[in-house]
Amino acid sequence: MNTLGEMALSFAVLASAVAIGASMISVRFQSARALSAARWCVAALAVMLCVSSVALIIALLGGDFSLDYVARFTDRALPAGYKLAAFWAGQEGSLLLWAVLLAVLSTIAVFTLNRQQSIGQSAATIATLSVVCAFFALLILFAANPFAASADIPNDGNGLNPMLQDSAMIAHPPLLFLGYAGFTIPFALMVGALVAGRRDDRWIDATRRWALFAWLFLTIGIVLGAQWAYVELGWGGYWAWDPVENASLLPWLTGTAFIHSLMVQQHRGMFRIWNAVLLAVTFVLCIFGTYLTRSGIVDSVHGFGESLIGTFFLAFLLVVVVFSVGLIIWRMRSLRSQRKLEGLIGRDGVFLATNVLLGAMTLVVLIGTIFPVISRAFTGTSTTLGPPFYNKVVAPAGLLLVALMAIGPLLSYGKEAARRLARGSLIPGLAAIVAGVAVWARGFHNAWAVACAAIAAAALTAAGIDFARMLIARSRDENPLLALFRLIDGNHRRYGGQLVHMGILSIVIGVTGSSVFNTNQTLQLTPGHSTNFAGFKLTLNSIAEGRGVNYERTEANVTATDADGSSITLKPERRVYDKWEEQTSSIVAIGSNWKRDLYLNLAGWDEGGQNVAIQAIVNPLVNWIWAGGWVLAIGALICLIPRIEGLFEKAAVPQRTFPVRQEAAKAPSPRGRRSRNPGPAVAAR
Amino acid sequence: MNSMRIKLAVGACVFMAAITYLAFAGARQAHVYHLTVDQFLSDGQYRAQRVRLCGTVETEHFSSSPASLAASFVLKGTRVELPVQYHGVIPGLFQAGRDVVIEGQLNGQGVFAADVMMTKCASKYESAGRAPTDKPDALDAAVKLGSAS
Repeated sequence: MNTLGEMALSFAVLASAVAIGASMISVRFQSARALSAARWCVAALAVMLCVSSVALIIALLGGDFSLDYVARFTDRALPAGYKLAAFWAGQEGSLLLWAVLLAVLSTIAVFTLNRQQSIGQSAATIATLSVVCAFFALLILFAANPFAASADIPNDGNGLNPMLQDSAMIAHPPLLFLGYAGFTIPFALMVGALVAGRRDDRWIDATRRWALFAWLFLTIGIVLGAQWAYVELGWGGYWAWDPVENASLLPWLTGTAFIHSLMVQQHRGMFRIWNAVLLAVTFVLCIFGTYLTRSGIVDSVHGFGESLIGTFFLAFLLVVVVFSVGLIIWRMRSLRSQRKLEGLIGRDGVFLATNVLLGAMTLVVLIGTIFPVISRAFTGTSTTLGPPFYNKVVAPAGLLLVALMAIGPLLSYGKEAARRLARGSLIPGLAAIVAGVAVWARGFHNAWAVACAAIAAAALTAAGIDFARMLIARSRDENPLLALFRLIDGNHRRYGGQLVHMGILSIVIGVTGSSVFNTNQTLQLTPGHSTNFAGFKLTLNSIAEGRGVNYERTEANVTATDADGSSITLKPERRVYDKWEEQTSSIVAIGSNWKRDLYLNLAGWDEGGQNVAIQAIVNPLVNWIWAGGWVLAIGALICLIPRIEGLFEKAAVPQRTFPVRQEAAKAPSPRGRRSRNPGPAVAAR
Repeated sequence: MNSMRIKLAVGACVFMAAITYLAFAGARQAHVYHLTVDQFLSDGQYRAQRVRLCGTVETEHFSSSPASLAASFVLKGTRVELPVQYHGVIPGLFQAGRDVVIEGQLNGQGVFAADVMMTKCASKYESAGRAPTDKPDALDAAVKLGSAS
């Protein structure tokens, strides 16, 4: 099986090479057959990498310690779920995961390319995808082979690092990687369009969907990562501005900017150079993030070592940058805008401001992340920029961004935009003032909190009024429920997008609440005694030792009684895993509701358990962050799925499952693609 | 159209100035030198400021008491040594002989008072995207968004 896995890797490299060759031949001879061959090579590549992955999974689940990778990251006692998670616990496996996800997405992408487009355009896209796939396949085969044999077969493996034995760790890396890998597809589509020198914006629709798809998974990946950090690292926070975290935030920022400013290109034919740059930058940042985390150039609290992989990534990164810059300069003329900006108050202007804000945030985060490297190069002494650096810029810029988001539904195009905005913002403005005053009056005397509440209220009212107005207009001659369904179904992008904004709003509320009003204290407790902390009475009932599947644990039993007398029992524990005896890992206990989290971390105890140190944190509104993540995911999914009503009408026609194709099937004429939103009132906006 | 361009240019300048100011203010407040024990002791300019030091925990003079949240130890550089008093949650990986990164300041008695400690991970690459970390609580006050206000 292992031989098969390794052979499949070699064939994957071969398939990607053939795909590159075939797509070049297809351009040279304008051969549709060669293009088709290139497509099938990409499919074969995906199949090969899947075979390889399945072989690795079988080895991991079966505990085949003849593989070095299996021996390093699993042991016999490891629960099956974590054996599977060990797939992405190390360098080799995580690269394979990335490659296989990329190959599968690429296959979907190449088989759903618009058949009407020129061979050159398709070929350039296929070749780009194949080159990226080839890079990963080569890297895995020659520099990070998960099928490398153990020097001598151990009786038992090392076991998975305790930090990774957490349920969030099963889902977080694949989703994040799906996001990273996903951004390759829109990049490749753009390369295709640029190489073919297309002046129109027809390629945008598929690009937008793929970008949204990647963005969705990147976002979920980041939120899950934050959740993992929150429950697993035991310091009570979820975001530390660590280089590894920043590495995932950077493409998220530029990706977000891209998705927004692509709308301006689609509707108005503007920002075309900027969008091409943004998309290239997003792709580059995905690779850069990997370089950052694999090379060890930046000292991270995540403690990475140095590795040769970094050099390969750096080389690849340079190639991509040079290629993208060259391509965009080469096609600069065909990218020039057809229109000029009409006003700063309208949608164009706000989208421009969004771009600028996100761009500035990206720049600041990037500089902060690589500052140790820059400062070492210039002064010889490495200097880190701590969290206040990021907060100082990102917090105000972020809040401003959310404020722009709030007025989103009020915006329109054209000369009337300013007047409409002024009229529409009356009620949301009032709501903002009421909310701000209410928050202040409740005793939360903090500028961030007041601003956040005001913005949230404005956003909610603006979106609510907009939605209600549409619904009422429709309900006049329709059953209200049907009208509701049809309204949303007819405008997936609009209402999905607004739901995403609501999710973001919820996250911002959670972040603000938990940052501004958190209380943190390390308490010294003795069994049977109580202490007061932030409105809670904490009683340490007992501290006891026990045994889990593959670890010893010490568990404190704490009763927390809040002001109105309701009490919960929390059991923070420390584990010492059998295979990691030199390290204790804390399993925090969190008593959580929509208002606040009570977060307990067993920090230490003396022999006999008479003195117990417990770090207690009250973090307000943290659940809003996770809830926001879910809302956002649902919103993005609504944006992605095709119109449901249309599906039933065409049930007789063989359906293709991928949204991009359905889009084409639904609106065959190029003009029709532009104005897909069927609601007359909406289309006018 | 011209007035639009001027507005845009002015807006862009104001915005860039604001961002640059914030970034510089943030950098002044948040920059911390990364030094080895040798660099730290050989150059007097670092004596009076907060720095981040990395070194190895000496096996002698080592005491760690997780319950009272304190540890005292000697941090070893290549040629010199520095006594350290640490206050805060003791990371799970902390023990004599390990490489650690500490953050703090020299006090009047020539002892380095640290309130942030990170243990460097023994193995080189542990996770997909994220590797293990032990982040002590002292960091989080600064880490939170709210500290920008």
